Amino acid sequence: MHPLKPAKAVLKNIRQETADVKTYTVQVDGAFSRELSPGQFNMVGYPGVGEAPISFSSLWEDGCIGHTVRSVGAVTAFIDKLAEGDELLLRGPYGKGWPMDIAKGRDLLLVAGGLGLAPLRPVIREVLQSRDSFGTVSLLCGARNEKNLLFTDEYEAWRKKISLFLTVDEAVTGEPWGHSVGLITGLLDRVKPDTAGTCAFVVGPEIMMRFVCRGLMLRGMQPADIFVSLERRMKCGVAQCGHCQHAGFFVCRDGPVFPYAQVTGLMDGML
Amino acid sequence: MYGNGMTGAPASRISDFLVPKASFFRWLDSLRESFSVVGPVAEEDRTVFREIASADELHMEYASTMLSPGKVYLYSPREDLFRISFGKDLTIEEPPRSPVQRIIAGIHACDTHAVFYLDRTFLGAFRDPLYENRRSNTMLIALNCSAASRNCFCSSMGAGPFLKAEKGYDMLLTDLEDAYLVEIRTERCRVLFNADATQSADAEVFRRKEEKERSALRTFTKTINTDGLDRALRENPEHPVWGRTADERCLSCANCVMVCPTCFCHDVVDELSMDMKTVRRYREWDACQDARFAEVHGGNFRARRTARLRQFVTHKLDQTHQYGVFGTVGCGRCITWCPTGIDLTEMAKAIQTRKA
Amino acid sequence: MTRPRLGFFKFSCCAGCEFQTFYFQKHPAETLAAFEIVFAKMVLRGGAPEGPFDLALVEGTITEAWQADELKKIRKSSALLFAIGACAVNGGIPALKALAPELEVEGKVYKNLSPIHSIRPHPVDAYIQVDGYIRGCPPGERDLHEALTSVLAQKKPGFLRCAVCVECKLKGNICILTAYGMPCMGPVTNAGCDALCPTCKRPCYSCFGLMKQANAPALAKKFRSLGLSESDIRRKFTLFDADAALFSKADKLNED
Repeated sequence: MHPLKPAKAVLKNIRQETADVKTYTVQVDGAFSRELSPGQFNMVGYPGVGEAPISFSSLWEDGCIGHTVRSVGAVTAFIDKLAEGDELLLRGPYGKGWPMDIAKGRDLLLVAGGLGLAPLRPVIREVLQSRDSFGTVSLLCGARNEKNLLFTDEYEAWRKKISLFLTVDEAVTGEPWGHSVGLITGLLDRVKPDTAGTCAFVVGPEIMMRFVCRGLMLRGMQPADIFVSLERRMKCGVAQCGHCQHAGFFVCRDGPVFPYAQVTGLMDGML
Repeated sequence: MYGNGMTGAPASRISDFLVPKASFFRWLDSLRESFSVVGPVAEEDRTVFREIASADELHMEYASTMLSPGKVYLYSPREDLFRISFGKDLTIEEPPRSPVQRIIAGIHACDTHAVFYLDRTFLGAFRDPLYENRRSNTMLIALNCSAASRNCFCSSMGAGPFLKAEKGYDMLLTDLEDAYLVEIRTERCRVLFNADATQSADAEVFRRKEEKERSALRTFTKTINTDGLDRALRENPEHPVWGRTADERCLSCANCVMVCPTCFCHDVVDELSMDMKTVRRYREWDACQDARFAEVHGGNFRARRTARLRQFVTHKLDQTHQYGVFGTVGCGRCITWCPTGIDLTEMAKAIQTRKA
Repeated sequence: MTRPRLGFFKFSCCAGCEFQTFYFQKHPAETLAAFEIVFAKMVLRGGAPEGPFDLALVEGTITEAWQADELKKIRKSSALLFAIGACAVNGGIPALKALAPELEVEGKVYKNLSPIHSIRPHPVDAYIQVDGYIRGCPPGERDLHEALTSVLAQKKPGFLRCAVCVECKLKGNICILTAYGMPCMGPVTNAGCDALCPTCKRPCYSCFGLMKQANAPALAKKFRSLGLSESDIRRKFTLFDADAALFSKADKLNED
């Protein structure tokens, strides 16, 4: 089997999350791997347009996989125009996901900026399903404004089992906003991580992860207990094309989720 | 880990011969019936690796070629991956694998090590079937170097001038004036080898080989101190030599990357037919010196030329955790073919001496 | 499927890009079949220059005021507009006149200047927003094909942005700059020609224009070391790109 050979998938459901973000629920044909973990990604593509790495926003649910995508590049802008019933191509799963085994039995702090909530959603689902396997679980979630928040209709169900803190850079809708306004680092004091027992998963723009990770360290967390998910250009997903190389790491194979300790201070990175 | 079993079983018994050159080339010629034989050929005033029509064409005393035979014949500059057709259903076809049986004759020690390096990329956790097919269908006849060129520093990297590895290739030649010392490494090559007028290589022949190696080692003018090199580079990402070289000399032209025998990066490109019915998906060599290379939406991790130059140099001289070896084999091509003569060994020295 | 409506417009240039598009590239018949030609003087008598167009291809430099007005009209009647060819993308040969004061240039050609209304030469994106650049004089097969198929597939085009050297090495050409000391512009020039000239052992003269990440001053320094005079270097860097900012920067550095 050629490692780059894609599998055919059918778009079963398309859900508009924000103005430029949609969640695609896809049914994959044939022998697509059953073993998906939170934080891993697929190369999602369309023939003639190319492929882009997209993390899972839901793992196997009713025989389908979920990808939440912002329409920005050539591939994602093209996928944005597809309709339910259309075909697309997938291959994966690739990379190392979130270390759920390390998180189990401990407090878990999830920090998501913008679209970063998508790769944490399977983590949240797993926590909700086996709530007793984790200690205190908190989710800090930031977005540019209220209109950019993802998965808002799921928050109520999440809140029943985990603490959810929201912040926006700016409240723009004029509706009452009962949450924080400001950078996501401002929420760190709300959760007061138990420094020894907590494990943190952080994902968002690299500059945001930089400040969140440093904020967590200032509050006593150890770099080995913090995990980040990196974004790099990828063409193959199998550590061959070289595009995602980051100071010798293949982000597609060695990541995208890394222990913060492994990737802090590397050249050409912001962490 | 080099070799990855791609060259088959090791030779079943010691098979070292002293073979008159004329006899060796007659044997090589006889292989052209069932193999595509590729070797160094003088074209105008340069040597290139290409398929030969006769062993008379071979120019085995060549210094260095612009492109390494491993990268061209095992990896391939541009190659089709899939043909995708739109129709009632999408169909994805792989092109047929090449049945060509090939021999690469006269590949230098550095370039043989570069093949081992490409093995790490294409025969690692994910095996690339196109590379794997060619690697197993290709016999490598390596050649020890008698003299170093101006920019060679393989002796500093442990990749030459004589090949020390014992597997991952099929045969090793040492030039002993009118004869070759032929050391056969694989069973498939031993079975094939039937040159006439051969004699078993005795201790005296190996003594001559050692002498040759000593004399080859004396011809090196370029060296690099690898002791703590990776750490020195890693700890000095803002050393002025990076910015200065990038501003004053680096053209971002990517010649260094393209001629590098270990640079494995490639792009994957979709080409649509004008009737919108088929897509040709192919890969072609790509270069980290291109500003687009590390670009993602909303950012570019190596937007600055300094960062791109540093990526190339550190990938060769640092980043040893990637495969457990240095990314350079010391062939010196990036120095030779840089239009402005940027020399990564000089950059490393600048960093190392300031540190000292 | 309805075919995209195509308009092809020419300003100051040789019309070679239109020729290339409809006659010389590898897929002229497929191009004519895939698009509805609404306006293109080389393939259609009359036509409807007013559009509307799904795709307008615009060749040529803007050197007269009426052309700028015309260009704005085309932009308004076109969903997509690509600049095609060195003249439209970088200024090209007509922009050579940017190197001298306007009156001096006009005086060299015409005795009576009263009917001459030429303006400073600019590529088309000096006046309008452009959706894509098909570089070259004339454009290379790959970029032209990518431009046309991207419109048919309704995707963003992906054009080559690396140096000519990359294509040259993919072909295995011995480097004529380093091996033979020929003053080749390849290292600073945007790829797309499949290294046409260097393959024929002729130095690249940058008809595709500077690539984005070009280091023109460093190449100028190299040319100086090969014995080129300042005026030779200046000519090399301004032949197709006289209007481009990067080249003028290189120019200034040449003169220090």
